[in-house]
Amino acid sequence: MKVIAAGNSAVAVAEKTNWKAYLKRYWQLYLLLLLPMVYLLVFKYVPMKYVLIAFKKYSIVQKVGEMPWADNHGFQYFIQAFHNRDFLNALRNTISLNLLDLVIGFPIPIIFALILNELNIKWFKKSIQTIAYMPHFLSWVIIYGLAIQLFAPSNGLVNMFITKLGGETVPFLNDPGKWVGTYIFLGIWQSFGWNSIIYLAAIAGISPELYEAASVDGAGRFRKMWHITLPGIKGTIVVLLIMALGNILGSAFDRPFALQNNLVMQNAEVISTFVYKNGIKGLQFSLTTAVGLFQSVVGVFFLLFANWLSRRLGERGIW
Amino acid sequence: MKKRIVAFVLAATMGLSMVACGSSSDSGSKSTSSGSASAGDSELVDGKFAETKHITVEVYDRGNDGGTDPTDNMYTDYIKKGMLEDHNVEVEFVSVPRWTETEEINNLLASGGAPDICLTYSYPTIQTYANMGGVLDMKPMLDQYGSELTNLNDWLGDTNIYWDLDDEKGTLWAIEGKRANNRRINTFMRKDWLDKLGLEEPKTKEEFYNCICAFRDNAKELLGKDADKMVPFSVSFDVGWRAALLIESEMDPKITDKEFYINGFDDRKLTQKGTKEAMKTLNKWYNEGLLWKDFALYTAGDSTEDDMMKAGYVGAFQHNWDYPFRSGDDSIQANLKRIVGEDAKYVAVDCFENSEGKTLKYVDSTAGDRKIFFPSTNDEPLASLLYLDWISAPEHIKYLQIGDEGVTHNVLEDGAIECIAATGDAIMNSGNNIDYTITCNGLSLGDEDLTLLSMAHSYPSCDPADVQQALDYAATNNKIAKNVKVPEIVAENGMGEALGAKRDVVFDTALAAKEKDFDKVWDSGIEDYLASGAQAIMDERTEKFEARYGDSKSVE
Repeated sequence: MKVIAAGNSAVAVAEKTNWKAYLKRYWQLYLLLLLPMVYLLVFKYVPMKYVLIAFKKYSIVQKVGEMPWADNHGFQYFIQAFHNRDFLNALRNTISLNLLDLVIGFPIPIIFALILNELNIKWFKKSIQTIAYMPHFLSWVIIYGLAIQLFAPSNGLVNMFITKLGGETVPFLNDPGKWVGTYIFLGIWQSFGWNSIIYLAAIAGISPELYEAASVDGAGRFRKMWHITLPGIKGTIVVLLIMALGNILGSAFDRPFALQNNLVMQNAEVISTFVYKNGIKGLQFSLTTAVGLFQSVVGVFFLLFANWLSRRLGERGIW
Repeated sequence: MKKRIVAFVLAATMGLSMVACGSSSDSGSKSTSSGSASAGDSELVDGKFAETKHITVEVYDRGNDGGTDPTDNMYTDYIKKGMLEDHNVEVEFVSVPRWTETEEINNLLASGGAPDICLTYSYPTIQTYANMGGVLDMKPMLDQYGSELTNLNDWLGDTNIYWDLDDEKGTLWAIEGKRANNRRINTFMRKDWLDKLGLEEPKTKEEFYNCICAFRDNAKELLGKDADKMVPFSVSFDVGWRAALLIESEMDPKITDKEFYINGFDDRKLTQKGTKEAMKTLNKWYNEGLLWKDFALYTAGDSTEDDMMKAGYVGAFQHNWDYPFRSGDDSIQANLKRIVGEDAKYVAVDCFENSEGKTLKYVDSTAGDRKIFFPSTNDEPLASLLYLDWISAPEHIKYLQIGDEGVTHNVLEDGAIECIAATGDAIMNSGNNIDYTITCNGLSLGDEDLTLLSMAHSYPSCDPADVQQALDYAATNNKIAKNVKVPEIVAENGMGEALGAKRDVVFDTALAAKEKDFDKVWDSGIEDYLASGAQAIMDERTEKFEARYGDSKSVE
């Protein structure tokens, strides 16, 4: 995404000058750009041809072009998906889990970055930051392993603690409602440190003169935070929010798949795990391609809408 | 200007994708033109190809600790050498993880990279691929070459070879490997705990219940400081399997073939009458603290529960009839002895009686186990058939199952073969190498008496008397499955995985429900299960059964 954005702005400048001369002068840069472009073409655009599977009766031995069209003008599998209770359930779960992630998870890295920014002891700040972003590098399978050690009903550490204090065990992982809480909590724990890096970078880019001027005017910490730091990173926040909104129907696979279990499936089945179970395991490739296509199209609409909204509100969009 | 660049990028995209299309269609056409089964017998001279052929064969990778490379060890060398000498065929093994075999085979088939000889436990998978044209029809091949495959014919017989034959279309997508013995499930209990508490081995469901209650109530005495780790009766993922004998005991002993078949798509008997009663009992036990609270958090292939058994926390469980004896030195039984003490051991008990007072067990026939099929990318169907023939020869089965004398087995005074724990390259990754003897599951030494005599001795590091007891109980009151010959049930297409996953959700949620919610949870689960496609399957099964057998409720 960023590559394209960079490419576009370069193009915009090139329009004004003579683009041939420009190309000649900066050909090394364009050459560098070529590699990511080829990557995008080969791995992101070429496979799009197989989106056709959603409208065709899939066969492993035929080429995409040879497969017969599906019934109902090719929309058989879309109709089937929307009659499928499991898909509708997965759709509902995807939206609600992602919304919760957004509402609860989005502000936390911002707050964390703000707090971190106010710390004066350098080594302390650095170590806190490192500790906070470390979980980002753990795979979800490992995190689930940790979660079991901590939250399992019979011998999880937290539950043992609770029972020792005379309480009842809390089914963090095996009650559908509680599971959602655990899912959101673990997601935030895993990513807030990492996500705060970009805000910290944005904060570092704010001119110190602004702070000095504010101090001279007698502004305290919170005033400065509110009137300088936050407006200074507003653009970054908006861009990240747009990206997050574009992903509202998207779902990572490993997080829900690693964390879900049969007892909480009513809340834990999301589109990606549905596609895995029915497509890759259940061989219903056409149905699940249709689901995936639907997911992407809705995602694009969300993205466009959020971008339009942010422009209307006077912010820069992502292009 | 901007537009022109965009146009250029789009054009380039299309150009590139055309190139990509072109190349992918080349590889596609290669795979479809592979029906070269017409090459006649003339290729063979004394059962040998004039030109060396090359085939690939699927083998399960069980990922056991300290095992050998499943594609390259003493036994694969034996097979490779034998096939090269006898038929001039080079054999290459392709490993597939045992616990995700369906997914893996799907991927291999879809990418055209499946081994020439594939096996799976799931017939719906084969059927689905056959419908797409991804599987070779074995009927014409067997018609043409069948007479040469004497070992295969002798070992499998028409029952297993033609078990999956479609009577109407005449197609045969897979042949069924043979279950050398049809023992299925046993209940196991800690003998030393029973002794310590002065209890007899249970003979009825009620006695079983009293025993596990006694385990729970005496956890302090039995486990000391680990008392809170006690699991009196362990049931984990795949509840329908791990409580199978309890479920079967609640079924109607007089169930007709028809009813059994209609509800038979799910082999965990979810919709059979009586399963709800059984689950209600299990739910009661769960709420009384007799079951493992964390069971749902661990999925297939996870070793946590096995580790709990090895560490001695588990009082009783149901599983494959020989489960605690499997894998020699690393078996549950051997570990228990090492970790807990000399007298600690599991013994089989037989105590889940049905309404007639019999401990009836529903077992499979010789078929219904592993199915062998050739994907359409198989260019060497004849060489592949010869492989199946070779691997079915009694002497080859025998060698693969017991290995060399003094290394993997001893011969006892009465002639019985006693398997011993092997080391290094001679370690068998699966019991009696069943992963290599793909047409044979279970010990078969070519001589029935010798096999029976040796079975109790075929589990290294385990007391033969314990194994014998498990053997006997698992063979008591068996009801053998029948082959219902109806055409393909279209509604089953592609539903196996989705319904299987749903079934496990129904079992698990019902098991862990609060006692007062059980009926509600079970009924809504079943309703959802039926609405998700199971009802359609049952209706079609009813219709096709009636079309084939008329008013008769029996298949005989």
